[in-house]
Amino acid sequence: MIEQLGNGLLLGIIISVASVALSLLYGVTRIVNFAHGEIIALGAIATLFLSSPVDSRVIFLDRFSPLGNNFYISVFISVILCGLFGGILEFFLFRPLRKAEVGNIAVLVVTIGLSLFLRHIYLLFNAKPQNFPLELQRRETYIFFDMTPRNFRVLILGIFVMVLIGLFLNYTRMGKAMRAVRDSNDLASVSGINSDNIILFTWISSSMLAGLAGVFQATINDVRYNMGFLILLLIFAGTVLGGIGTSFGAMVGGFIIGIVVNVSVGLPFMEGHTEAKNAVALAIMILILLFRPQGIFGEKERVS
Amino acid sequence: MKITFKSSLTILITIFSIFLVFLLNDEGEIPILFNLLTFAGIYGLAAIGLNVHFGLTGLLNFGHAAFMGLGAYVTVLLIPHAAGREGVVITTGLPFFLALLIGIISAALFGLLLGLPAIRLRGDYLAIVTIAAAEIFRLLVRDLESVTGGVYGIINFSNSLQQYRSGFIDNFASANDLNPSQIWIAFLSWTSIILVLLLLRRLTNSPWGRALRAVREDEDAVRALGKNAVWLKLQSFMLGAGIAGLSGVFLAFNYGTIQVSTFVPILTFYVWAIMILGGVGSLTGPIFGSIIFWVIISETNGIAQLIFENANGQQIAGVRFVLVGLLIMLLMIFRPSGLMGKKEELLLDVK
Repeated sequence: MIEQLGNGLLLGIIISVASVALSLLYGVTRIVNFAHGEIIALGAIATLFLSSPVDSRVIFLDRFSPLGNNFYISVFISVILCGLFGGILEFFLFRPLRKAEVGNIAVLVVTIGLSLFLRHIYLLFNAKPQNFPLELQRRETYIFFDMTPRNFRVLILGIFVMVLIGLFLNYTRMGKAMRAVRDSNDLASVSGINSDNIILFTWISSSMLAGLAGVFQATINDVRYNMGFLILLLIFAGTVLGGIGTSFGAMVGGFIIGIVVNVSVGLPFMEGHTEAKNAVALAIMILILLFRPQGIFGEKERVS
Repeated sequence: MKITFKSSLTILITIFSIFLVFLLNDEGEIPILFNLLTFAGIYGLAAIGLNVHFGLTGLLNFGHAAFMGLGAYVTVLLIPHAAGREGVVITTGLPFFLALLIGIISAALFGLLLGLPAIRLRGDYLAIVTIAAAEIFRLLVRDLESVTGGVYGIINFSNSLQQYRSGFIDNFASANDLNPSQIWIAFLSWTSIILVLLLLRRLTNSPWGRALRAVREDEDAVRALGKNAVWLKLQSFMLGAGIAGLSGVFLAFNYGTIQVSTFVPILTFYVWAIMILGGVGSLTGPIFGSIIFWVIISETNGIAQLIFENANGQQIAGVRFVLVGLLIMLLMIFRPSGLMGKKEELLLDVK
């Protein structure tokens, strides 16, 4: 069970970062974004495209050649690109919908269509699972769990990013404005906050975080067109567990889900059923929704 | 169905899309048409079930594939079949129609189970719960290989239904160079659609149907009038799930095998696309939505060939799903009431 803890922490950091992003967006816009997974995949695919060696023509329809940039610069550009993409989505799709006063459920269905659309655009470009152009590394022991040095760095970087988000939300003007819009859009507008700008900023930052989560996921595992959709439900589980709309809750919830998924493999009734490990996390999510819909850290509100 | 401008236009578009099949294909039009009509019947039935949930009651169900899957698995496992890697043959079983009945009831009971969160949860939360429950169902079916055949699936069960095939189906199939088993499934699914629609028309025009729509519009008002809104929601969940279970059985018999990979989230999204296209809340809408949808699907091959030279299967599938995603998005943005839906009956806001 303990050897699974390292894997659990790694999955946890991916889900945590992605859950915080999803939770921020939900908190401010009330949109349940099913296309979140596709922004995650975009981060990984863009990094792959920017950083793969120029002569590796297997990706992108054999038509476009990868660019062979430095890996870290590629990650940086990809995360910016994801933010830009999120901004474009808000500006050209979700803002007009909001102005037309389209209801939340209709927007939810739109994000499902968007998810299906984007995911299979990726499929048309790149169907095979691929790895980032990074050398193989041997696992080493950190405290009491095993992982490669690179994955350990991912873990540390992820925790660092989340501390930054926490500080940002609590101590900067923008962060406070975001929380104000989350608590009450009308009251925030009355106090002179331009909620359109805040929402645009939320989309951009949420998408950048999602892109970063995608880079993490692809570094730990690999790049697939459906990599975001595969963990989307776990991200929902993390978000719901911590309390949907709360950032700190989403961080903790994401970690718990990551660890539960991997550690559940060691449970007696799971012996020989490792394929079904995600089911445990999803079952926990459903139970939480049934008995404590506000999650661990959420405040009680009417959800029925 | 009253003959209105909307319904005549819908029928015209449907006829035109069938005409398009003849226009775009140089040969084999009849087999292509009957293939797509078979799928249209099966998916149309599923969309009618989903419309009971979403259109009539306003329940946001994204786990439809699981209802279809449960109906199919229970029915097929109760009749003679062969399952798993070894293809273990089980020759004893219940008569088909008894198994079908149990399959439909199981799907309905699963609907009852999934309906329990619906009592407590708001729309968007329910969407997450249902899609997660469907994923749990899929993972369990995949995992319990000794019962469900796991990834190897179940085969050799078709005969239980095909033995009832009437002679006129065989005659019709051989006259038109068609596969008689498929035509039999098409015949049964379209017959079921007619029966289900007759039943639903009676139900929706009854006090029960009016109470159901009232739950969608204003649950508190229903409560205030002394109706049991919770029980109404659960009944709706069971009814829609039962219809989905029936369509899942037809889907399994149409393929002749049953696979885990059939009952995946994408199946749910297909059914959603059909329901929105046909018209949320409209009884007959899903039929037309389904036919038009499957005409589009059956022509994606041609569209893929326009984009890629010699498109392979994966590219064709990719183009198909891109189109479905685009269709869902565009409909929801520009015409959320679909072809036949009533704008004033749309429930698209969180209650």
